[in-house]
Amino acid sequence: MNLDFLAIAPTVIIVTAVVLLLMVDVTFQMTHRWWGIAAALGFVGATTASVWQWIEHRGDDGELFFSDMLAVDGFSSFAGMLVFPIAGLGLMAGWQLVRGVGRRGAEFVALSLIAASGAHLMAASANLIMLFIALEVFSISLYVLAGFTRKGEGADEAALKYFLLGSLASAVFLYGIALIFAATGTTSMYGAKAFLDSTLILRPGILLAGIALLLVGLGFKVSAAPFHVWAPDVYQGSPGGVTGFLAAGAKIAGFAAMARVLVVPLGSYIDDWAPAIAVMAASSVIIGTLFAIAQTDLKRMLAYSSVAHAGFIMTALVAGPAGIGDMWFYVSTYAFQVVGAFAIAAVVSGALTGRSPLSDYAGLSGRSPLLAAAMGLFMLSMAGIPLTSGFIGKAAVFRAAIDADYLWLVILGLVAAVGGLFFYLRLIVVMYMQPEAEDAAHPQVRLGTRFAVGVAAVVTIVVGFVPWPLLDWVKDAIPL
Amino acid sequence: MAVTPGWYMALAAVLFIIGAGGMLLRRNALVMFMSIELMLNAVNLTFVAAGRELNVLEGQVAVFFVMVVAAAEVVVGLAIIIAVFRRRQTASVDELTQLRG
Repeated sequence: MNLDFLAIAPTVIIVTAVVLLLMVDVTFQMTHRWWGIAAALGFVGATTASVWQWIEHRGDDGELFFSDMLAVDGFSSFAGMLVFPIAGLGLMAGWQLVRGVGRRGAEFVALSLIAASGAHLMAASANLIMLFIALEVFSISLYVLAGFTRKGEGADEAALKYFLLGSLASAVFLYGIALIFAATGTTSMYGAKAFLDSTLILRPGILLAGIALLLVGLGFKVSAAPFHVWAPDVYQGSPGGVTGFLAAGAKIAGFAAMARVLVVPLGSYIDDWAPAIAVMAASSVIIGTLFAIAQTDLKRMLAYSSVAHAGFIMTALVAGPAGIGDMWFYVSTYAFQVVGAFAIAAVVSGALTGRSPLSDYAGLSGRSPLLAAAMGLFMLSMAGIPLTSGFIGKAAVFRAAIDADYLWLVILGLVAAVGGLFFYLRLIVVMYMQPEAEDAAHPQVRLGTRFAVGVAAVVTIVVGFVPWPLLDWVKDAIPL
Repeated sequence: MAVTPGWYMALAAVLFIIGAGGMLLRRNALVMFMSIELMLNAVNLTFVAAGRELNVLEGQVAVFFVMVVAAAEVVVGLAIIIAVFRRRQTASVDELTQLRG
C-alpha cells in the first residue's frame, strides 16, 4: 500500500478548515470575517498542495496511492489548481449571500469548501467507487447550496429539481459502475484498463450497457443535452451568490471525471463511445444555442449557453487521449469566464435572489461602466471573439476534433458559435444601448466581487493574448 | 433448477427499471425519492450478485459505500422536500412551475 500524505493533502487541508470553521464557530460565535479567514486558509492551502503535486507528479510522473484509490498525476493536480481558486472566487463573489443569511453563513462556507474538495476528488479518483463517493460529496453539497435561501423565490424549487434529477443521474451512473464491475471483475480503473486491454470480450453487451449508463450519469453532471433539463431551472432559481461556483465547479469536476473514465479504463473501446460523445456534443451545441436565444433572464440564458459550452468541450473528448489537453484549456478558461459573469449577475440582480431579468441590465454602462465592460468581455469571450481566451479554447477543441476525423462536428460547432453571437451580443446591446430604468439602483460592488471579477477578467484577457504557457501546461495535465 | 447469480442480476435490472419508471411517472416528490432508493438498492443487488459470481470481495464492499451515500442523500433530500412542503403545502412536482422560460 502506497501511503503518502501529499496525495491527500488538498483534501486533508480542506477538511481541517471545515472542522475548524464549524467547531470554532459553534464555540465562539465568530463573525463572518473569521469564516472568511478559515475559507481562505482552506482554499490557499489546498491550492498550494495541488501546485506541489503538480510539480512532483505532472506529465509522466503520475502515481497511484492508497491501494490504487487515488491517482496523483498532472490531470488531478491541474484540476486541483483550477477548482480550488475557482471555488474561492465563487465564494468571494457570493459573500453578500453569506452575510445575508445570518448565522447560517458558516454552513454556506463549509459546504462550499466540501463541494470543492469533492470536485477535486472526482478528478483524482482511480477507482469507480471512489469516483461515485466523490461525485456524491460534490453533488449533495451543491443540492443544499442551490436551495440555501429557503425563503427566496424559486430557491426551494431549484433545490428540489436539482436533487431529484441529480439523484436519478447518480443512480444511473452507479448502475453503470456495477455493470462495468460485472464485466471486468474490478472497480479499479487501472485494473479494468489492464483487463480490457488484454482480454477480448466476445459478448460485450453488459460492458457497453455500463458505458452508456456512465455517459448518461456524467452527461447529466456537465449538463450536456439531452440531459440538460435541470440546468436552466437550477441556474435561474438558485441564489445569485451560488450559481457561479455551481456552474464552473460542475463543469470542471464533471469533465475531469468523464475524461478519466473514458480514457483510462475504457480507452480500448474508444470506437464505441466516441460516436456517442459526438452525438451528445452536437445536440448540446444545437439545443443550447437555440434555446439561449429565446431567454429573457440572464442566468437562464447563461444556463443554456453552458449547455452549448458542454457540447464544445465534448468536441475535444471525441479525440480520446489526444483531446484531454484541449479539454482542460477550454474548461479552465470557461470556468473563469462563468464565475466572473455570475459574480456580476450577483451584484446587479442580487446575491440572495434567483431571478435576473435582462431588464436589470439595461443601461448598466451608465450606472457602472466597469461592471458593464467586464460583463461585455466575458460575453465576447464566451462567444469566441479573437484576442479572448474563449477564441483560443474553441480553436483548440476544433483542432482536436479535426485530428480525430470529426469534421461534421466542427462545422456544426462553427455554425453554433456564430449563432451564439446573437444572444451574447444582445446582452451587450442591452447594457450599452438601452436606456436604464428610472428607479434603477446604482450597484454596490464589494471588495470580494471586485477581486473575483478582476481576476476573471485578467485571466480572460491574458490567456487570450498569450495562450502559450497554458497550452504548454495542459499538455502535462494528462491522466496516468 | 438452481438460482444462479445471473438471475439476481436480472432481478436487479427489473427492479432498476421499475424504479426508473416510478421516477418518471409518479408526481409526488416523496414517491419519486422512494423510486430512487429502489434504483440504488437494485444496484446494490447487482454488485453483490456480480461479486459472488466473480468471487471477488469488491462487490460486497461497494454495497457498504453505496448504503452510506444513500443515507446521506436521504438526509438532504428529505430536508429539501420538507422545505418545499412548508412553503407550498404540497409535495407534488407538478405544482413547481415558478421557474420556466
